[in-house]
Amino acid sequence: MTKGIVFDIEEFAVYDGPGIRSVIFLKGCPLRCAWCHNPEGFIKAPQRLKSRDLCVQCGACIAACPLGCGWEAGEKCVACGECVKACPRGALRIAGREMTSGEAAARILKNAQALKLSGGGVTFSGGEALMQPDFVVETRGLLSGLHAAIETSGYADAAVFERVVKAMDLVMMDVKLADGAAHKTWTGADNRLILQNLARLIEMGIPFRARVPLIPGVNDTRENLTATARLLEGAKALERVELLGYNRAAGAKYGQLGLTYAPGFPEDQAPNRYTEPFIERGMEVVTL
Amino acid sequence: MNEHRRDLTQEERASVERQIQDPAQPLAQRAALRLKLFLEHEQIVKHPGERIYAWRTIRSFPDIYAPGEREKLTAGRYVHEQGRVCNISSNWEGVLNGGLLPRREKTTPEGRTAIDAVIAYADRYEDEALSRAIRCGAKGYLEALNMFRILHFALWASNVYHNTVGRFDQYMEPFLKADREKGLTYDEALSLTEEFFLSFNRDSDLYIGMQQGDNGQSLMLGGCDRDGKSAVNPLTEICLKASLHNRRIDPKINLRVDKNTPLELYELGTQLTRQGLGFPQYANDDVIIPALVDMGYALEDARNYVVAACWEFIIPGVAMDIPNIGAVSLAGVVAGVIRDELASCKAYEELEAKVRGAIAADAENTCHGLAPLFLEPAPYQTVLMSDVTHDVSEGAKYNNYGFHGTGFATAVDQLAAVKRYVFDERTVTPQTLKEALDSDFEQNPGLGRMLREDAPKLGRDEECVPIADRLLENFADALSPLRNERGGRVRPGTGSAMYYLWHSKNLGATADGRRAGEPLSANFSPSLTLRDAGPLSVISAMARPGLKRVMNGGPLTLELHDTVFKHPEGVTKVAQLVKAYIAMGGHQLQLNAVSREQMLDAQQHPDAHRNLIVRVWGWSGHFVQLDKGYQDQIIQRVSYNA
Repeated sequence: MTKGIVFDIEEFAVYDGPGIRSVIFLKGCPLRCAWCHNPEGFIKAPQRLKSRDLCVQCGACIAACPLGCGWEAGEKCVACGECVKACPRGALRIAGREMTSGEAAARILKNAQALKLSGGGVTFSGGEALMQPDFVVETRGLLSGLHAAIETSGYADAAVFERVVKAMDLVMMDVKLADGAAHKTWTGADNRLILQNLARLIEMGIPFRARVPLIPGVNDTRENLTATARLLEGAKALERVELLGYNRAAGAKYGQLGLTYAPGFPEDQAPNRYTEPFIERGMEVVTL
Repeated sequence: MNEHRRDLTQEERASVERQIQDPAQPLAQRAALRLKLFLEHEQIVKHPGERIYAWRTIRSFPDIYAPGEREKLTAGRYVHEQGRVCNISSNWEGVLNGGLLPRREKTTPEGRTAIDAVIAYADRYEDEALSRAIRCGAKGYLEALNMFRILHFALWASNVYHNTVGRFDQYMEPFLKADREKGLTYDEALSLTEEFFLSFNRDSDLYIGMQQGDNGQSLMLGGCDRDGKSAVNPLTEICLKASLHNRRIDPKINLRVDKNTPLELYELGTQLTRQGLGFPQYANDDVIIPALVDMGYALEDARNYVVAACWEFIIPGVAMDIPNIGAVSLAGVVAGVIRDELASCKAYEELEAKVRGAIAADAENTCHGLAPLFLEPAPYQTVLMSDVTHDVSEGAKYNNYGFHGTGFATAVDQLAAVKRYVFDERTVTPQTLKEALDSDFEQNPGLGRMLREDAPKLGRDEECVPIADRLLENFADALSPLRNERGGRVRPGTGSAMYYLWHSKNLGATADGRRAGEPLSANFSPSLTLRDAGPLSVISAMARPGLKRVMNGGPLTLELHDTVFKHPEGVTKVAQLVKAYIAMGGHQLQLNAVSREQMLDAQQHPDAHRNLIVRVWGWSGHFVQLDKGYQDQIIQRVSYNA
């Protein structure tokens, strides 16, 4: 059975597809979007998170560490979890757990009844779920009879993309920025692969939702949203466009990972919510 | 708000006391006279434009006991709470339709005094429709509302309390329908209902139970009719909307549902939940009606059930049940057995057998302590019952008691931990466990952490489920042979009321890793140490078949962050979650939209709110694990949403 690295399974998600969704968050992502709110999804390897407010600096974690890590888990840390067990305050946790497709499927199936009753299902998210295609496809295969969706940036090789989305009932694909250079600036990667995969998805006819995380000063311009709408124009299997609001709590977990959140855009500013470019082209658009 | 409030003058008080505190007169007569004098002292207040009558103008009124008399009367007797009739539901349907006069002929002499006093009070409003209605029954919606208002107002004045509202949409709908046919518009009906609902908040500062707001002004909507068919009607929706518009804590809304209830009704309910007031509370007809029948209630009565002040299931007009008279600390009983008898158990089954015996002994002991019961006569409440021929304090068609079972999840988790580590894996000896518990885990923090975090928990781990099922059965079996002095049964329940705090204070460390004095969860909810389980796991774990026997009432409580409700799609999905719990056989459910206040408290007392989950954006996290700056941010955001 294929193993995957999962950093969270959320049972009751309401904005990640139709009905009640259970979401599997897969670790590892090829992009580094400046607004990312799941920084523990950046790298594939498990990592330790520490809540500074709960920590009373008793030193139990340092004493328990077999590798001699200090206060901050540095490069030596292999996320073995000994410090988590030792911490009397519950201030530590490991993000990223290796699990087999069978284990992941069992975790979802436990609540299959409630998911089905609501017309919901499972959603694969991340990180970037396409970075663990074998695991995703295999897990999905074990969940036959359950509606399955993926939330993806679309950044992957064509073959991988095709194989994974074919296994899904619904694809929720981000179109963060239409302009390649801007995309590179804000996400660390060019959008060529993404746009090719978007075209491929439209061609394949799998039901999909296009999502734009609205980031103030980055992609909330009329130009970008018009260009995005053009990319989607005529897509028969497009269910709707979802505009996701930027939330100022996005940086919450950076400190727990020893990272600094430096978004580089005016995060206090409310983003523009231009819906007309989509509505004019006959698309349903929802602001979530 | 109420500029007419006053205290009795010393002279007034002395005069009243002289009249009603004469030990030579029977208590029932004094109680009726007290009501008469109280209502006579009340001033009639009518504000311009106000359609619903009655404001309390007398802050407090003397009791019927002479100094020292009550102590004598209650010596050697059990006094439940205030020693007065409470927590029952009147036959509102019968009284509103027939008026008080037909009851006058049948009831006790004291009941007649009460009826005359209430009619005289109503007449002082100089409203012909009201005067006619209170005598012979209401015809239209407004007069029925005002008649109810006067009847209910007088109930509070008569010194009974937790005066529930019952199936308001059922008994009021015919009056509304009559007026709608005469041209009353939907909007007028809604506005009238809103004004009427607001009237429950006028005097509620004077109606204090265990806490401010604990006043029993609960009403029950929806459900089925006498034939078992859906009884949801246009007023059901109007009531939900009125409560939504009012945003006030009274009346408290309960909603009866079953497997066929359409999603739209749940969505309306969820709109209400979104306000953060903690209601509606849902009750599942598919579970509760058969459970009541099994407990000996006639099917027709079972189909008419409502809730008492909080969640206990009672029958309007015919039940003098005391559904909150006692409690068994399930968590405490299990802790005691583990502490004292674990070492002598060779197999896990022996431990459960001892638990079964201990619950039975505890319940029997509690039940014996409840007799003889002292209850002040309640002639006016008697008048509002179905059978009015003898004082309701002496009993009615149903005279069952209810015992809460507190700390259910903590009881299950203790047993599950002991089963796994002491009996199945044999990694912890009874002696090691005892020493760790006795030292509140100071001597063995590693074991404490393992029990708290790794041990099986109800709401997350399958291995707890059979233990939970057996505990429910054992609790039901333990209470099943008990009879109270009125011949009634003792109904086991899943509520906790204030007991969950009382029972936890003196409870030492428990085998589920809970430290000494840490609170138990309220009602039928997973323990506060539960981690890594979402609402779906929780609802499927808590929807137990044994709830058909442990049926006194007591909801599963789920807390959802209010951002879950921010978009209509989220509201629909919460409604689907509720519907799923009902479909799975859950009995009663209450949801909280997590409030800003709770988060502020969580900052001060993080350990008390370890389970508080907030949806931060595309992810949810434990609030107390967020850095303070982000906590502050979320608190700020919620205040925008409120």
